[in-house]
Amino acid sequence: MFRKVAIKTNPLLLSKRFLHTSPKTYNAVNHTAISPSEMEHFNKLAATWWDPHGPQRILHKMNLIRMDFINDTIKSQLKLNEGIKNDEEKVFIPGWNYKNLLPSEIAGQIEKEQKAAIAAKYDALELKCLDVGCGGGLLSESLARLPVVSSVKGIDLSAEVLRVADEHKTLDPMVEAKLNYELKALEEVPKDDLYDIVTMMEMLEHVDYPAEVLKEGLAHVKPGGHLFLSTINRDFISWFTTIFMGEYVLKIVPIGTHTYSKYINDSEILEFVEDFKKEYEVVSSKGCIYLPACGWKFTSSSNVGNYFSAIRRKEKLSN
Amino acid sequence: MLFRRFMATAATTAKTHTSDIVIIGGGPAGLTLASAIKNSPILKNLKIKLVEGGNLIEPLEKFNESPPANFMNRVVSLTPATISYLKEIKAWDHFKEERTETYDNIYAYDGITNARIQFDCPEIATMCENFNIQSGLFQRIKELNKDNVENPLEILDKTKVIEIKSDEKNKWPVLQLSTGDSIKTRLLVGCDGYNSPARKFAGIESRGWAYNRWGIVATLKYKDDAFRFPTGWQRFLTSGPLAQLPLPDNWCSLVWSTTPELADILMKLPEEKFVAMVNAGAKLAPSEMEYLYKLAAKNDETLMEEISWRLNLFNSKLKEEEYENYPLEIESIVPNSRGRFPLKLSHADTYVEERVALVGDAAHTTHPLAGQGLNMGQGDVKSLVKVLETSTERGLDIGSKFALEGYFSERYPANHVLLGIVDKIHKIYSTDSSLLVMARSLGLDAINNTPFLKDFMVSQISNK
Repeated sequence: MFRKVAIKTNPLLLSKRFLHTSPKTYNAVNHTAISPSEMEHFNKLAATWWDPHGPQRILHKMNLIRMDFINDTIKSQLKLNEGIKNDEEKVFIPGWNYKNLLPSEIAGQIEKEQKAAIAAKYDALELKCLDVGCGGGLLSESLARLPVVSSVKGIDLSAEVLRVADEHKTLDPMVEAKLNYELKALEEVPKDDLYDIVTMMEMLEHVDYPAEVLKEGLAHVKPGGHLFLSTINRDFISWFTTIFMGEYVLKIVPIGTHTYSKYINDSEILEFVEDFKKEYEVVSSKGCIYLPACGWKFTSSSNVGNYFSAIRRKEKLSN
Repeated sequence: MLFRRFMATAATTAKTHTSDIVIIGGGPAGLTLASAIKNSPILKNLKIKLVEGGNLIEPLEKFNESPPANFMNRVVSLTPATISYLKEIKAWDHFKEERTETYDNIYAYDGITNARIQFDCPEIATMCENFNIQSGLFQRIKELNKDNVENPLEILDKTKVIEIKSDEKNKWPVLQLSTGDSIKTRLLVGCDGYNSPARKFAGIESRGWAYNRWGIVATLKYKDDAFRFPTGWQRFLTSGPLAQLPLPDNWCSLVWSTTPELADILMKLPEEKFVAMVNAGAKLAPSEMEYLYKLAAKNDETLMEEISWRLNLFNSKLKEEEYENYPLEIESIVPNSRGRFPLKLSHADTYVEERVALVGDAAHTTHPLAGQGLNMGQGDVKSLVKVLETSTERGLDIGSKFALEGYFSERYPANHVLLGIVDKIHKIYSTDSSLLVMARSLGLDAINNTPFLKDFMVSQISNK
């Protein structure tokens, strides 16, 4: 069995996946579509999607770190002193090394004031979110529960998982009012619907034309807003952890969840965004790894294994 | 007809409230949890209700305004970790500090060989009345409510939980209250003690055993004839440890763990003779104690004389430097301050289930010999609040077991170790088999003379 897998997914046999060049053949009407086999795979998962002890446990766990990445990025992008003219009222923003340079009491006080300023700015946000490929709604519900989120739209192509998502949201009055799901492809979302947050989590590695999907997603980001994505680098480590160990040895995700050739390197995302650098920039990339018994942890490199990336749409076009 | 009309009005006035968290129990654990949640910038907007069966608000207000002259008999030992948490949630400022006693020394000694171990560590523990804790926390909650008019913490006292059911649709617990109202809640936290209704609702099994011992408590006063630094004294009699824990102004709090038979005898004794028995228990040999229990059982007239003669003999044999190895003699007792409670070890299989979390005695009970019971509950609160904060920031449903798992995985092992250690100490000291007595005395002496071992134990006791 392992041999078969190895041949099917041997990294050495696979060519590069160019994100920045559109593939030669694609269905122009529905280029965010996923193949029937992918669809069938997700339909099978629908019934147990919300069971944190079921086959999707690792996804439930991953949702925790997704939320951390989104929150951290948004907080780090807040402009604390924007619009404040009086220097006295400005929050002091120290150099990166201030904790080593300043006495601990002063550094502590600076940190405390900074945190309070961030919290105040953050609490005042009212964010509109679009969750692309929402599946059973793990991320959509989590986003909807945040007090700073005013509405969430989740879209997916599988009617079966959306039914599960719709049913599950009615269990919690807190999310029911803020959240709605629609069975549609990304390009069917009205062009002028803009969002503060667009998410594509564990999604790009399941579509046939990721560049088109990404482009479409970025078009729905408000100036100053973010697109958050997570996917998997196409390297040996990824193949080993996600497919070999994850699907076949430890069996923590269902067999067939991943297709190695569809993985996308972080560098390819950077290359892609570089083409649109007047309007977009990658503001954060973080690798992450699943450690059994510990859950998901951020790693020091976004070039190996799973990773998150945050693309920001600039407020104004730059050169 | 009349009956039907009555039913009709009852139905229209009874309301169903919806809540994010309902805490059952207004003891130290429940009140700490309530104030810690409302003190958290992340959690303060949650809708929280605390339900308590007894009369809570009125006596707590009374205690705060005009505290009783004498110390109450329900006193607990607070570790430095507990106090620093109470300071962190800004509740400590509302405590009546003049009614607490912080001490630096603990003397533990063997009831047979008088082998001893002395722990000397600044502020190793603080004695505090249960009511003082509750009152301080209640005042803190009132203060927090003033700053949080939109979502104040509601305390429903004199309100019993009659029944807990699951909502048919989303399985949230629905509490039927004695007032006729009901509350549907996202998360139910049981701070409701050993017989926790919340635990029973969640179907969580609690395992353990009764120690077949009672803890007798009383508030006592030392004779003011010599000086001692405030010290926690604990003598391990084979029937159980006799602890005298310091309160301000030469008062002390007694916790005497003993067998049900001896507890009966001691509880029935006139107060004067009970005091004499406490003094005997702090110094005399097992054979002498046995004889004295026999006299006490008959409420014998000669008991007082017997004890004072034996104590004089004991004292006369002490060298001068040995005097300070024993507590001062007790002079008097606060009338009617004697009380008793059964001792048991119990540990719930889990602290979290779908929509339910258990805190404090609802999750675990322990022998009081290490003074850790309440402190374990405080550790639970700290951990649970942290988990609720993280889960809220991550947009999880804080009532789901998935969101609460971190609390259980952090607290269960820590509590389990402590329960186990306390249990072993109880067992080692409840025997008079000479081999074990020799071994334990040797062990105690050895530890007493090994500074790094002692330091480690102190750090464990005080959670520093």
